[in-house]
Amino acid sequence: MNRLQIPIENTTLANGLKVVIAPDSSAPVVTLGVYYKIGFRLEPKGRSGFAHLFEHMMFQGSANAPKMQHIKLINSSGGLLNGSTHYDVTNYFESVPSNALERVLWLEADRMRALKVDDENLRNQRDVVKEEVRVNVMNQPYGGFPWLDLPPVAFRNWANAHNFYGDFADLDAADLRDVQSFFKTYYVPNNAVLLVLGDVKPGEGAALAQKYFGDIPAGPPPPFADPGEPEQKEERRGDVEEKFGTLPAMAIGYTVPKRRTNEWYAMALLDQALHGGRAGRMYRDLVLEKQIAVEADGGIEDIFGYNGPTQMVTRLLHKPEYSSETTLAAFDEVVREIQNTGISEDELNQLKVKWRSDYFSTLDGGRSGMPRYGLMHLLACFTLFDNEPQLVNSILDGFLAVKREEIQGVAKRVLRPENRAIVFRKPVAKKEAA
Amino acid sequence: MATRAAEVPTTVPALSAERPVTWPKVTKSRLANGLEIVLAEAHSIPKFHGQLSFKSGNAAAIHRGLGLAEMTATVLRTGTAKRASRQIEEDLRRLGADLSSSAGSDTSAISFAGLSELAEPLLALVNELAREASFPEPEFERERRQKLEEVKLERTQPGFLASERLRKVLFGAHPYAQVSPSEEQVAAYKRDDLLQIYRDFYTPENALLLLVGDFDAAAMLKTIEKVFGNWAGKKPVVPASATPAHPHGRKVHLVHVPGAVQTQILAGCHAIIRKHPDWIRLGLSNSLYGGAFNSRLVMNIREDKGYTYSPRSGVNPLRQYGYFSISAAVRNDVVAASLTEIFYELDKLRSVPVPEPELADARNYLSGIFSMGLATQDGLLSQLATVALNELPDDYLETYRDKVRALTPADLLATARKYFDSANMQIVVVGDRTQIEEQAHLFGDTEIFDAQGKHLS
Repeated sequence: MNRLQIPIENTTLANGLKVVIAPDSSAPVVTLGVYYKIGFRLEPKGRSGFAHLFEHMMFQGSANAPKMQHIKLINSSGGLLNGSTHYDVTNYFESVPSNALERVLWLEADRMRALKVDDENLRNQRDVVKEEVRVNVMNQPYGGFPWLDLPPVAFRNWANAHNFYGDFADLDAADLRDVQSFFKTYYVPNNAVLLVLGDVKPGEGAALAQKYFGDIPAGPPPPFADPGEPEQKEERRGDVEEKFGTLPAMAIGYTVPKRRTNEWYAMALLDQALHGGRAGRMYRDLVLEKQIAVEADGGIEDIFGYNGPTQMVTRLLHKPEYSSETTLAAFDEVVREIQNTGISEDELNQLKVKWRSDYFSTLDGGRSGMPRYGLMHLLACFTLFDNEPQLVNSILDGFLAVKREEIQGVAKRVLRPENRAIVFRKPVAKKEAA
Repeated sequence: MATRAAEVPTTVPALSAERPVTWPKVTKSRLANGLEIVLAEAHSIPKFHGQLSFKSGNAAAIHRGLGLAEMTATVLRTGTAKRASRQIEEDLRRLGADLSSSAGSDTSAISFAGLSELAEPLLALVNELAREASFPEPEFERERRQKLEEVKLERTQPGFLASERLRKVLFGAHPYAQVSPSEEQVAAYKRDDLLQIYRDFYTPENALLLLVGDFDAAAMLKTIEKVFGNWAGKKPVVPASATPAHPHGRKVHLVHVPGAVQTQILAGCHAIIRKHPDWIRLGLSNSLYGGAFNSRLVMNIREDKGYTYSPRSGVNPLRQYGYFSISAAVRNDVVAASLTEIFYELDKLRSVPVPEPELADARNYLSGIFSMGLATQDGLLSQLATVALNELPDDYLETYRDKVRALTPADLLATARKYFDSANMQIVVVGDRTQIEEQAHLFGDTEIFDAQGKHLS
């Protein structure tokens, strides 16, 4: 097996902006991203949903590129753009033909330097965000299940437990002062990484970064609230009403070990053993064999992309003829089996081959047509959380070194009732249509 | 605001000279048994992506039962003459592979991806699924039971209800009108039906094998010959289908979902298939109208008015017929306002030529994102599949961008007049009738259905 050797250049500008370049001239396309180290976890109290609303505001205009210009300039260069808000980062990214690289650098620098938005822009995007929440959560069967349902049950620290999409009252309360203050606090070059991947000549990326971003003044180091959780001593449970869906559902989340520890690597393979598609034990036992569940999936979502408490979540939709307790008992049996008997050497080998293969796919994976999104995301997170972008080439080793007894060990230590939270999503009784 | 150093421009940097797109080398071949093969090398990661497609799907099986091709594809992976279900799933994991099997209206397909170093055993497993699936009775029963829950569940999704209704309205007696079976239809499925479809559809004469990835094409071709060479089977005979409905006059079709807090709008009209000579100009018209973030519809009802999060338009090419559609999930109180803007923008493209600068932007957009689709293994696979399955010319990918760049405002005006058929547009709205019926009715005679498809008065 070949060791990965993705060429990576990295540097830090005088204003603290980290710069990571991964040149690859195989296609005349370049993907550019700016990641800010602030996500919805540490958004201001009383302003739930604000980090995401703010992400929308970053498309509403900057000093030299008024509203509509960002979108128009990227699209008309033959490119695509988007942004997304995560637990601990918010990203803005574009894929363009490489002749538009300087244009995109200019646009990203312009909005890092000065956001220029007004009340009308804020009202407009608040309305857009509310429709986003309706289409993804309030008007969908199992909307927000379990990513919005589980945190308030699982966690005690507001940072980890609040509504990340935002209560509408909080969204309504947000004003332009909040926007500018959030911008000044967190959207400073010393809290960000710029990534350029693809068709850029080796050695040229850093100079371009300096040209466009070099004069943006650094800000004071942003304050970060402690996202730590008090020790959990009991199983936690909650109920959520399902307004549209026909099947009862449940989600079981176990808080995972700290990232990049030996236990965390083992946990990732345990996750693969439990949730790795149709060969995974959850799907195999609960859907294929016992036929209690209709869907059984989950895992540690975006395993490289978080920097605070997170959970491995199993998501089950089960047949109505089985009670929640029966279903949970069947789930517990799967857990007990791996705790008691561990996994075979053959299974471990399968898990590792699949992990390696999945990792390559993550790197090559695009997002909404944008190539190299996956590689960009990993480079950004390894830079912001670990200050070590080269991990992208070496982190696989940690997973491939895991031993059978470590998987059994982490199953015993982590998959305990006192380390889990369960949400039951129960369909309401249906009225007949009038 | 910070003071700016003199050398940082305050105006948009111009585009530099474009680097030419290097087209992937595509190897085409056909085995003696009729199996069509398309291979392209792409060395970004040590993996490959593949698809074994059969040119018959649910439409070709509809006289035997709705959704039977899909059910056949689903049960296909649950057992072969040599391997039981559990063995298949574990072997896939052992090969670092992902595999799915499914059927749409026009094709059935086994799609897969795996490590290059383990390509041959993965192809052998795909071959086994395509030729020796055993459709074990208990697995069939389990999948059928599972499907019953799925068909209940999809009736709770606004997006599904909207597209189901639009297809019914646009296609009438044609098989494309039917997208999903009822519970009764699923209950009537028989294992023998699946076996018959498997024997008829899954043949080399009816198949296309497409591989993209980190391999040597010449060596891969030899492997393919070795694995698939002794397979045999003829093209299926498919009965002719009825002519689709061609609804005249704008009409509203309301699917009533009590308690919906938002309304899903989906409007559509007949359009064209991929092979049609107007395809590229309609694609450009669509991208100006609502196919891009920077399009008129998105700028209007999202960025200006804030009615919706993700408005979108698209041309949906099925093999025999295509249709154009516009979708937006909007606030309940702005259903009429949204439809007004949807038609305003449509009619504007039908009456006023697109200004040249806006057209230049749209041309750039479409040709730029097109080449981006070639930069990942699965992106390239889907482009090549489009060309092969729609029998497009061999130089389709290479000439696409030049064709886009040659289009003029007059071309687009003619295209909009021909295909943005606003007078006969069928409007589906999925939401709570008590909140939206009056608003929707302003746009045409209204028929109301429940989520099960039952007519309500």
